[in-house]
Amino acid sequence: MAEKFTIPIGPQHPALKEPGHFEFMVDGEIITGASVRLGYVHRGIEKAAEGRNWTQDIYLLERICGICSHVHALAFCLGVEQLAGVSAPPRAQAIRVLIAELERIHSHFLWLGVAAHEAGFDTLFMYAWRDRETVMDALETFTGNRVNYSANLLGGVKCDVTPGIASQIYRAVDNLEERTRHYLNVITSDDSLAERTRGVGVMTPEQADQLGVMGPTARASGVMRDIRVVAPYAAYTDFPIQPVTETAGDLQARFIVRLSELFESYRLIRSILDHLPAGDLKTRMPRRVKAGETISRVEAPRGELFYFIRSNGTDMPDRVKVRTPTLCNLASVLTLVIGRQIADIPMILVGIDPCFSCNDRAVSLVDNKGERRWTWEALRQYGIDYYRRWR
Amino acid sequence: MNWASILKEITVWARTNSPWVIHFNSGSCNGCDIEILATLTPRFDLERLGVRLEGSPRHADILICTGAVTRQARDSLRLIYEQMPEPKFVIAVGSCALSGGVFQGCYNVIGSIDRVIPVDVYIPGCPPRPQAIVNGILTLLERLQERERIS
Amino acid sequence: MTLEAARDLLRAWTQTAQTPEANRLDIVVTAGDLLAAVDALKTSRWGYLSAITGLDHGREMPSLEVLYHFCSDAAIVTLRVSAPRENPSVPSICHLIPCAVVFERELAEMFGITVVGIPDADRLFLPDDWDETVYPLRKDAKLE
Repeated sequence: MAEKFTIPIGPQHPALKEPGHFEFMVDGEIITGASVRLGYVHRGIEKAAEGRNWTQDIYLLERICGICSHVHALAFCLGVEQLAGVSAPPRAQAIRVLIAELERIHSHFLWLGVAAHEAGFDTLFMYAWRDRETVMDALETFTGNRVNYSANLLGGVKCDVTPGIASQIYRAVDNLEERTRHYLNVITSDDSLAERTRGVGVMTPEQADQLGVMGPTARASGVMRDIRVVAPYAAYTDFPIQPVTETAGDLQARFIVRLSELFESYRLIRSILDHLPAGDLKTRMPRRVKAGETISRVEAPRGELFYFIRSNGTDMPDRVKVRTPTLCNLASVLTLVIGRQIADIPMILVGIDPCFSCNDRAVSLVDNKGERRWTWEALRQYGIDYYRRWR
Repeated sequence: MNWASILKEITVWARTNSPWVIHFNSGSCNGCDIEILATLTPRFDLERLGVRLEGSPRHADILICTGAVTRQARDSLRLIYEQMPEPKFVIAVGSCALSGGVFQGCYNVIGSIDRVIPVDVYIPGCPPRPQAIVNGILTLLERLQERERIS
Repeated sequence: MTLEAARDLLRAWTQTAQTPEANRLDIVVTAGDLLAAVDALKTSRWGYLSAITGLDHGREMPSLEVLYHFCSDAAIVTLRVSAPRENPSVPSICHLIPCAVVFERELAEMFGITVVGIPDADRLFLPDDWDETVYPLRKDAKLE
C-alpha cells in the first residue's frame, strides 16, 4: 500500500508540519517518489545584497553558511575583483587558498562526525570532533575566529602568516594527517560501518553526470568535478591540486573521497607555507565597480559554489545570485532514492554532506489512516536497527 | 573569573541539579549551532557536568536558541516554548538571536528571539566561542540555583 | 569541450552571441528555441547545467531575463532568454535535465515567471503564507 513519508528539515515538532521537508512516497519499505520543500533558513540574502555596498556584502555573504563561510566570501571577492579589473596580490591569493583548505579540513571532520552519528557510531563522532579542534585552533590563531574567519577583503586579505602561525599550522597538519590515516582505516575495515555504506546508494558515473551532482559526491562516482582542478582560481594556478576520485560510487566511496582528499589539502598547505610569496596583502579597489556581469566559481567542501554578480557601475551590486552545491546535490537525492529502502534514507542524505541545519530533522509518515509522525531520531534508529538485524 | 573556577562552579552546580537542554535553530547559518554542539564534544564536554541534550521540549528545562527567526521558524519556536514545562528558561545564542545580526531588515526574517518568546540569557558573538556558551549556561544555572534557594 | 564547439552546436538558434569574458559565451535565444538549444548541449554532452539566474534590469525595462548557465571545465555557456514583464513565461527544461526542477521553482517564486510544464510547481524557499503577488527579487517588489 502506498504511503507518504514526510521528513521535515528544521527543528522537529511532533505536532507541527514543517514547511521545509522532504516527502517520500513509499510502498512498504521501498521509495517510489520524492520531493523537497526548503525555506527554513531562507533569509532573503540575495535581495539584501542589492541594498548594501560591496564591502558590506562580504559580511552578509560569508554568513550564508557557518561551515563554509570563507569560500562564499572568496567567490564573491574574486568575482568583484574580476568586474573591477583588479587582481589581489600573490601573497593574498595564497593565504586565501591556505584558509580555504583549512576550512575544507574542518568541514570534512565535522561531516565525518555527523555521518558517523547517523550510522550509530557515536564514538567516531566524538573522536572526529575532538580532532577537529586541532584545525579550529589553527584557524583561530591565524584569523582571529574559530568560525566566520572574515579573512577576505575586496582586493586581498586581512591576516598574515607569521612564523608562529606557520609552525602551529604545520603541527596541526602533521597531527591531522596521522588521524586521517586512522579514520580511513576505520571506514574501510569496520564491519558495521561497511554494512551501512558498501554498495549502498550507488550512483554510476552516468547517473552522477546526469543528476548534476558535484563535489565529493560526484568524485566518489568517478566524475571529476572539482573547480580547483578544472578551473583553478586564486593561488590554485600556482599550487595545483591533484584530483582525487573513487569509482565505486557508493556511500563508502563518498567517505573515502572526503578523507583521501584531505591528504591533498595537507600537502598543499605545507607547500604554500614553504613557498609563500612575499609582498602585499591587498591591492586598491575602487569604491564603485565597473558595470558588467561576471561568474565566479569556487570549490566549497561540498562542491561547486556558483556566484553570478552584476554591477550597474555603482557602489552596490545590481544582482548577486548564489547557487550552493547542496541545492544541486539535494536535487539528485530526489532521483537517487527511488527504488531504495527507507532504512537507507539517513545515510544517503548524509552522504551528500547536506547543510548542517538539516540535522534538526524530523520524519513524518502519512498513511491512509491519518498522520503518523516519526522524529529524525526514530528514522536514524530505524536504519541502525534494520542493519543490526542482518547480523 | 578564570576557566578553572568556572568549571569548578559548574561541577558543584551540576551535582545538585542536572538541567536538560533542548536546542532549536530558528534559521541560523549553523555557525552557532556547531559551536553549541562542540560544547558537548570531548574538549568542552558539558555532558560530563550534567547538562544533557534532550530531544523533546516536554522534558526540557532550558531552550538554547540560535538564528534570526525566519517566518517558517516562528510558529515552531512559539510551540516548542509552550510545550516546555515550568520552570523554563531561554538562552539566545549569537548575534542573530539577539538582534537579527547581519540579517536585520531582510525579508522573511523576524529579527530576534525575544520578539517571539521571552529570553533569560543573551550570549553575543558571531558565533560565540564554546567557552562563552558554557559561561552563558553557567550564568543561567546560577540564577536557577538562586531561585531554588529562595523557594 | 570548448566554447567554439558550443558556438557551433547552438548556431541554429543563436539570436546574438557575445564573449563578455575569455571563458564565457553568452547566447541569446528565444523562449521558443530554448528547449532545442538545451537539447543540443545535452545530446553532445557539452558540460552540465550549473545554475539558472533570473534578472530584473529595472522597472523601465519591458522584459525580465532568464539565464541558463552550462559549465564544461572552465568554459561557461549562458543561454539568455527574455520574458515580457507582463506575464513572463519560459518552458521547463526538466524533461531534459531533471535536477533543474529546484532552479526553476526558485526562479518562479522569486521573479513571478511561469515555468510551463514544470513537474513540481510548489514553492521552494518562500513560506506557505507568503503573499502570492509579491516576487522578492523583482526590483519593484513591495517587501516589509
